[in-house]
Amino acid sequence: MDTRDLSIAEMGRALRSGATTSVQLTQDALERVKAQDDKLHAFVLVTEDLALAQAARADAELKAGSDRGAFHGIPYALKDIYDTAGIRTTCHSKLRLDNVPPHNSVVAGKFDAAGAVLLGKLATHEFALGGPSFDLPFPPARNPWNTDHVTGGSSSGSATAIASRMVRMAMGSDTGGSIRGPAAWCGLVGIKPTYGRVSRRGVFPLSWALDHCGPLSRSVEDSVLTLQLLAGHDPYDVASVEMPVPDYSADLNKGVKGLRIGIPRDFFIGASATTHDTLAGIDRTAAQLREAGAVVEDVKLPDYALFGAAGRVIMMAEAYAIHEADLQNRLLDFGEITANRFVLGATVRSADYLAALRVRRELTDAVTEALRRYDALLCLSALNTAPRFDAPVDALSSGAPMQTIPFNVTGHPAMSVPVGLGADGLPVGVQVVGRAFDEAMVFRVGRAIEVLSGWEGVALPA
Amino acid sequence: MSSLTPDELAREFDGFMTRGGLTIPPGRRATVLASYADFRAQIDLLHGRQDHTGEPAHIFATSRDGDA
Repeated sequence: MDTRDLSIAEMGRALRSGATTSVQLTQDALERVKAQDDKLHAFVLVTEDLALAQAARADAELKAGSDRGAFHGIPYALKDIYDTAGIRTTCHSKLRLDNVPPHNSVVAGKFDAAGAVLLGKLATHEFALGGPSFDLPFPPARNPWNTDHVTGGSSSGSATAIASRMVRMAMGSDTGGSIRGPAAWCGLVGIKPTYGRVSRRGVFPLSWALDHCGPLSRSVEDSVLTLQLLAGHDPYDVASVEMPVPDYSADLNKGVKGLRIGIPRDFFIGASATTHDTLAGIDRTAAQLREAGAVVEDVKLPDYALFGAAGRVIMMAEAYAIHEADLQNRLLDFGEITANRFVLGATVRSADYLAALRVRRELTDAVTEALRRYDALLCLSALNTAPRFDAPVDALSSGAPMQTIPFNVTGHPAMSVPVGLGADGLPVGVQVVGRAFDEAMVFRVGRAIEVLSGWEGVALPA
Repeated sequence: MSSLTPDELAREFDGFMTRGGLTIPPGRRATVLASYADFRAQIDLLHGRQDHTGEPAHIFATSRDGDA
């Protein structure tokens, strides 16, 4: 059978019915990697032997009646900042080329325990920040929709691998939009769960206060199944919160009738980078949600610039603290973009950092208050579609096109969902934001958008 | 935006780099300085927003940065 477009749930059903095997799914995926990755550069390491061994074990277990659940026998891949026991984890950096961690990250361990099949480690912007760059040990991942264009970052290889059908789901990380940005620019679903929902232990940090782990995937349902596996308390991640994990599938297809959805239109309406295509995308989505029975209206939030400033000051201060010794002693071993960004953290004074934390509280309160009146917020994921490699925009500048960092600052769950293609043939995504720990509502609204937009009928790049 | 002149901004930046023990290659200096100007403007946005009414624990700055 043709396995390349099977969802995670469909692969699971096919495995259990005997229509396919995990070894077949894995061989098919490896073939797609071999056929495409020379030009797309999604992977920095393909773990072929391990994958085939894990797949054979999954088949044997399923045949023997031992079923580990939704990911049993399913191929996936990890951004190369997730520690994998005995498998090189480089952060896409010369500084960690020889790093072979002794232990799994919590996330990798959960996939292992669930019987999933690790295809390999994926390209990222260096240390989840610096890129796309051509002066690193591995080339930057390219956007399968048009290889002259960037994927967005930093979970660049994750987006490339999924959009090119190499794999159905891959893990990213998100400190200012590193899951949702590449998802938007590559026509994928990407969710940043609530701060504290998924353990970050064993994932190389960029900013302790803003880092989140989450999946990129082809569909909302794929992300539902992934978060169902990964959500949960970890007493050894200081940010982790002990909250019940609901059944994310229970209300997934309930639609939006009667829901109240607010659009913080001031975030994007006056921004110079906003394009006709992205505006049309969110307006069309709002109209479809109204038609489906939701109340959709504009909502006022604090100035976008404040969210951006608080997020970037916190991020750069913390990133600098992590990398200070290497910046002092090995600055030229970082990629130029990475080093140029990280050194800005040395300019943040304690008063600046504390001001950012105070503003963070103010902004979090404002978003929480808005979400008392609305079930979800809807905004753009990015102001534009993916730019070309030769027209880069500094992701840390005040003019950056991503609209994702506000919800790293506030910690609310946020998911990018594709809604169509721009005139340039590149995907447009919108962002659904929910109350803290209410990822179920984010999935429900996102699923409705996925259906209403007709995105499921849009063909991915060949 | 910061009220500093470009020269003042550059001196301020150089001071931070010296204090941090960081050496910026000359060929990168213009790029990093331009990023710093934008970043400094973002930092400035964050100041002066809180007074005692926003600090229920009564832990607050009594004057804005740079004020006497």
